[in-house]
Amino acid sequence: MDIKEVTFSYDKKRDTLNGIDSSIDIGKVTTIIGPNGCGKSTLLGVLSNHHQPQHGDVLLDGKSLADFKPKELAKRLAVVHQQNNAPSDMTVEKLTAYGRIPYKSLFASSTKEDEKAIEWALASTNLLDKRHMPIDSLSGGQMQRVWIAMALTQQTPYLFLDEPTTYLDIFYQYELLELVSSLNKQQGMSIVMVLHDINQAIKYSDIIIVMKNGQIAAKGKPEDIITADLIRDIYGVNVVVKQDPAAGMYIVPVGI
Amino acid sequence: MKAGKVMLGINRKSLSFIIVLLLLGIVFVQSALTGSISVTPFELIHGLLTGTNDDVAIIKDLRLPRILIAVFAGAALSVAGVLLQAVMRNPLADPGIIGVSAGASFMSVLVVSLFPTLFFFVPLFAFIGGALAFFLVYSLSWKSGLDPLRMILIGIAVNALFTGLGQAIGFSGSGITQSMSQVTTSTLTMKKWSEVEVIALYGTIGLMLSFFVYRWCNYLSLEDRTAKSLGVNVNMARFFISIIAVLLASIATTVAGMFAFVGLLVPHIGRTLVGNDHKVLIPFSALAGALLILLADTLGRTLIAPNEIPASIIMAVIGGPFLIFLLRKSDRIYGH
Repeated sequence: MDIKEVTFSYDKKRDTLNGIDSSIDIGKVTTIIGPNGCGKSTLLGVLSNHHQPQHGDVLLDGKSLADFKPKELAKRLAVVHQQNNAPSDMTVEKLTAYGRIPYKSLFASSTKEDEKAIEWALASTNLLDKRHMPIDSLSGGQMQRVWIAMALTQQTPYLFLDEPTTYLDIFYQYELLELVSSLNKQQGMSIVMVLHDINQAIKYSDIIIVMKNGQIAAKGKPEDIITADLIRDIYGVNVVVKQDPAAGMYIVPVGI
Repeated sequence: MKAGKVMLGINRKSLSFIIVLLLLGIVFVQSALTGSISVTPFELIHGLLTGTNDDVAIIKDLRLPRILIAVFAGAALSVAGVLLQAVMRNPLADPGIIGVSAGASFMSVLVVSLFPTLFFFVPLFAFIGGALAFFLVYSLSWKSGLDPLRMILIGIAVNALFTGLGQAIGFSGSGITQSMSQVTTSTLTMKKWSEVEVIALYGTIGLMLSFFVYRWCNYLSLEDRTAKSLGVNVNMARFFISIIAVLLASIATTVAGMFAFVGLLVPHIGRTLVGNDHKVLIPFSALAGALLILLADTLGRTLIAPNEIPASIIMAVIGGPFLIFLLRKSDRIYGH
């Protein structure tokens, strides 16, 4: 995926994204981090065609996102949004099956391929035993897995996640990150996500994109770019960068 | 245990359908038999088939049109409510409350009073009026997000505007007052077979279309951006569902008059009985709505016979407290 000179503004007064020029590597986990209001979720929105940039272009397989039909794009790229809603009496399986919308006309009934995709998505997200349960009986972590199952049912090479760990307690946060990681390693999915926790980004990303004020401040492998100077410059927080044989690289905030 | 729960869910849905269908049949027959002229079921069927019974002939000319119109109007208004609630993602949307019916009624009155020769095209103008009112409410309340109470307030304002405009026309000329009161208040009296044809034709079209778009209604219950990520053309879905809703509400209003709260009450009961899946909710609401209006009309003309309480008044008496109940409940849901 290529991001070419993208500028985006919500109100035409202030650019939320300003001249973003970058790329997303196929088969990698790419994580966008940065302080509140830096434009990281907006960038994810532009990459998934929910916001159309005023200037510049985003190319997927060499083709501008704007030139994709909605359903064609939904077969290439699935998004798990930060906030989601569905009727409380809906079952896990029915909601997961919505991921097949891009493959069907409005009146078509479900096919063998649909069923296979749903089975696979439910198995990958460890939801097979919950398939007939209404979604209001699920915990936050389970619910987030259902949204990922729906995205997986789209069978896309790209999966985008906007702050997927927000609102989850620490067990479900890591459960989800492990799931994302295994989807990348076993299915070869290209993952792009927005995270708040820098240590989680370091541990689970091949590439980190650091954003500040609507621009990319740094991009590269975690161990190459995460330094005390960078974190101080971006977040205004003093940190110590540590190496541990068991934990790998991590940062410890020590003050501001 | 789990399987039992699922079984219970299926049974509850089927059971709800069976009960509503049975009740509709009973009320339908009862409504046809009772009134100032009473006949036995056998006399009715025999008379309808042979055309030899004078009482049955009167029932056929006066009572049957009224019954059929009540059935179609109830179905149309209820399904219009379901569709508007899907489009606005708001359980309080109702064609009567947010002014769609008032807009349709105003345009009908306007056309009837200014161009009486265009009477044939009144359904078309009613549709335009309903669409205008809907567009106003939608565009004015959408900007501030999906706040259900704000939408209701704007709807009440639009409703008051069109109701007022309709009444203003009524006062500006005495000759048309009769036709006006026929459109704005509903007693369902003096209904003709020609009117049955209008509501049966457009009502059936609208109800069939509404069932074709049940999947779109389901998709809209997701967040817009989630639906868009799935390749759903959200704007197109909203546009078509809205048009069908306005068609149903407008046609019911022109033929049967204004009924508040039906589109609110019936879908809400439907959601508790058969769930939020529009594949089931739409047909169930159609049947339950038909039952409700027919029941209201039958009670209205038999409770204090030979006088009549208009069905719309009975609906208002039931619906008012129900709206308060819903608003209080949605307070808890939306946390205002």
